[in-house]
Amino acid sequence: MKLENKRNFCIIAHIDHGKSTLADRLIEMSGTVSKRDMQSQILDSMDLEREKGITIKLAPTRLIYEYNGQEYELNLIDTPGHVDFTYEVSRSLAACEGALLLVDASQGVEAQTLANTYLALDNNLEIIPIINKIDLPSARVDEVKKEIEDVIGLDAENCPCISAKEGLNIEDVFKSIIEQIPAPSGDENGKLKCLIFDSHYDNFKGAICLIRVFDGKVKKGDKILMMQTEKVFEVTEVGIFVPTTKECDILKAGDVGYVAGSIKTISDVKVGDTITNADIPISEPLPGYKEVQPVVFCGVFPVDGAKYGELKDALDKLKLNDASLQFSPENSTALGYGFRCGFLGLLHLEIITERLEREFNLDIITTAPSVSYNVYKTNGDCLEISNPSNLPPAVEIAKIEEPVVKVNIFTPPEYVGSIMELCQDKRGEYKNMVYLDKRRVELNYRLPLGEIIYDFFDSLKSRTHGYASFDYEFDGFENADLVRVDILLNGEKCDALSMIVHKDKAYSRGRELAERLKKIIPRQLFEVPIQACIGNKIIARETISAMRKDVLAKCYGGDITRKLKLLEKQKEGKKRMRKIGSVEIPSEAFMSILKLGDDER
Amino acid sequence: MKGSEVRTDVGAFYTPSSENDISIYIHIPFCERKCSYCAFVSFCLDKSEREKYINSLLEEIENFSTPKKVKTVYIGGGTPSLLTKDEIFAIFSKLREKFDIVENVEITIEVNPNSVDEEKLRAYKEVGVNRISVGVQSLSNKTLKSIGRLHTKEEAIEKLKLIKKYFDNISADLILGLSGEKSVTKYAKELIKLNVKHISSYMLEIHENTKLFNDVRDKKYRPLDENGMAKSYDKLVKFLKKRSFKQYEISNFALTGYESKHNLNYWNYGEYVGFGVSAHSFLSHKRMANADTLQGYYKREQKEEKITNAMEIEERIMLGLRCCLGVDISILKNLGYDIQKSESYRKFLKEGEIVEDDGKFYLLPKYFKFADYYILNLLP
Repeated sequence: MKLENKRNFCIIAHIDHGKSTLADRLIEMSGTVSKRDMQSQILDSMDLEREKGITIKLAPTRLIYEYNGQEYELNLIDTPGHVDFTYEVSRSLAACEGALLLVDASQGVEAQTLANTYLALDNNLEIIPIINKIDLPSARVDEVKKEIEDVIGLDAENCPCISAKEGLNIEDVFKSIIEQIPAPSGDENGKLKCLIFDSHYDNFKGAICLIRVFDGKVKKGDKILMMQTEKVFEVTEVGIFVPTTKECDILKAGDVGYVAGSIKTISDVKVGDTITNADIPISEPLPGYKEVQPVVFCGVFPVDGAKYGELKDALDKLKLNDASLQFSPENSTALGYGFRCGFLGLLHLEIITERLEREFNLDIITTAPSVSYNVYKTNGDCLEISNPSNLPPAVEIAKIEEPVVKVNIFTPPEYVGSIMELCQDKRGEYKNMVYLDKRRVELNYRLPLGEIIYDFFDSLKSRTHGYASFDYEFDGFENADLVRVDILLNGEKCDALSMIVHKDKAYSRGRELAERLKKIIPRQLFEVPIQACIGNKIIARETISAMRKDVLAKCYGGDITRKLKLLEKQKEGKKRMRKIGSVEIPSEAFMSILKLGDDER
Repeated sequence: MKGSEVRTDVGAFYTPSSENDISIYIHIPFCERKCSYCAFVSFCLDKSEREKYINSLLEEIENFSTPKKVKTVYIGGGTPSLLTKDEIFAIFSKLREKFDIVENVEITIEVNPNSVDEEKLRAYKEVGVNRISVGVQSLSNKTLKSIGRLHTKEEAIEKLKLIKKYFDNISADLILGLSGEKSVTKYAKELIKLNVKHISSYMLEIHENTKLFNDVRDKKYRPLDENGMAKSYDKLVKFLKKRSFKQYEISNFALTGYESKHNLNYWNYGEYVGFGVSAHSFLSHKRMANADTLQGYYKREQKEEKITNAMEIEERIMLGLRCCLGVDISILKNLGYDIQKSESYRKFLKEGEIVEDDGKFYLLPKYFKFADYYILNLLP
């Protein structure tokens, strides 16, 4: 097909604005997948993706559409719609010439709508606004059009107004794609230049690179060079997505597809890397590459210590498909052997832990998430600390730096006061506030990431009844007055409950955690003191009084079966307990740091 | 210290049942009125419904055969003292016709103070009943009324005096933890005066689908809290010990020789057959439960569960630790569980919470209160 008849585009939207539904409709109406094989939200291939209504792994697909008597090849690149995956989004945008900006007709412009638009603008994309869900009784099409013009600055006058769910006005979308998005340019006779915008692992083919070819062509047998990792592979297969993989002879400038080359580890395939021909390489790689670094860390331990090996295998398997997941062995006195895992964000963390439980059938205990701190010691050493219990003693620390993020919050004006209070409480630094229109305010703050992962999202949601949306981006490290609060149970330190907090909050957090643990930890045969301390200084104390009895009285002929069932249940519960010294703690306790402050709400 | 010195020893009066022995339980689901705490299967039945039940019960007994020797019989309920003289005769003549009942059999019947009378007591005597278990529950009229009992304190005392004329082996039930009853020792004291040789004292359990459950939920009834319950239990244990009652199970206390052989058989993993609605049986490594509705019972609906080795290990530990019979170490080993290798076991042994003696291990009575904790920690 001629380049003029190709279009490469993606859909960007705030979560829940109907991205996957529109993708489904486009696939269905172009006849790419027969109705019979149509499964709702076809591009979200993982169960979890469908359940959470989010896209985690990118899934491109080639649509063939006839317009004005000509056939067009439309490559749709679906993007993950979450802040954790911003880098992946930016790379898949870089593979396109245009983006459909989908806005919910009742919700209007939200934080991620804007964040994604900026990303698209950064990549010089043609942006087509589309208003979705016009079938809803609460749809306010004209107002939303105005919001798009005022807030984003895009002309929405004649934009398609659709209902992806009902299949309404989808032809307008096709029309806009073909008429407004530029066809790819590129020289298929030039030197090979491709962008890797995602990768996944196939048990038979090895790591598969999802690529956009900008110049040149690539086919089976070619030697390709990964410019960042400087690795060379021989291409064993090239193909396209329909949306399942389909082998083809050649990929040329303008095409979106995949290459496989017996690449054994996924870490050889870096998202954002440039592929060129090893024999006739280009001199400069494509711009925009960066190494993705995990920002959120937590300990993952098997409930049953004997399953350590299984947990390791499961993490290895997940890692095959997810280069951004990091893990290294960790040993906790409270939880035994496990792993310190690094994630791109809280959602990424949640997805991985849920997959470990569901797909690998593992019972796991996760500790409260933490960020990574730069710790400068008095002797000149600098450490990266993501596990609070590894923090050196206070006397050895010269200074600590914590990661900070820029936060954009979109909210109806009535919640501004409450949100400012929240940001203040989370040690936020006020930057700016703009009244976008009478219904919407944009607030900009600078906040420590450690506070965001703590309970920021939940607090924001509950304070604004879910009407506010937020987005953040990494904004460097900053000095902070931080201390470690430890928890002693019956006099023994429980390393998995240690937390790094700001000095001003140490007392209140320590007290809250002790109170919460008192509620979660069941009574034992003896009295159990719970102490929170900084170094050797006790800052809070609670006491769990001793159990007075633990017995159910009757056990005659008819009671035995029932009692045994009860005992089985208790035995299961006991398996989820961990011992600190002689104190038994339920595994939920280790996540309880996160739930601090819940009681006030 | 030798184990038998600190634990309750039943060896002197109790010969554990052998493979050739069996116990019989008969369930009489009749009640004049349901007590507020009661979660047992019982119904207020009219005359024709009662007849139908008794006939079905006799038929069930008729259709069961065993070559084993019957060592104990227990008529429970419900309210077995609602059985008429004729019904008692009918049941016992069927039992004697069908089973090989040993000479020194223990035959218990549960009675309520308001429905037992002299005529019935004579009938019990005549058919061979030799142990009476009286549902006293409390000796406070206010308390009795608040839980829906139909008798008064005076009635209970009067009937106990009457029973004493005919029977020597008398047991009484007391409930622990009822509203306002911080101690029941004064009741125990009175019962002992009335010749009671055995006291079963159960901590109040609040089951769903009972009136009490709703009352507690609606804050109309406030039972003792965990601490209050534990305190009243401790007081009773201490008092009964002084009066030479041995605590041979968590909730059961008896003068030497007056322990319930029937209940000891349950805890000793002996076999038993249950007749009547909701009755359970334990025969050849299977537990059977009759339907708990009359309709289901008449159709002979039954649930059956095979006891695997893993279950038997758990059951033996659970039952043996709750009473003075202990758990046989070599039996566990034969079933595949070497408990002496368990870390918890060694710890409890070292701390003196359990003792080993003659190839068995026992939980000391002073830790009975925490039995579930020990059981849970000693399971494989």
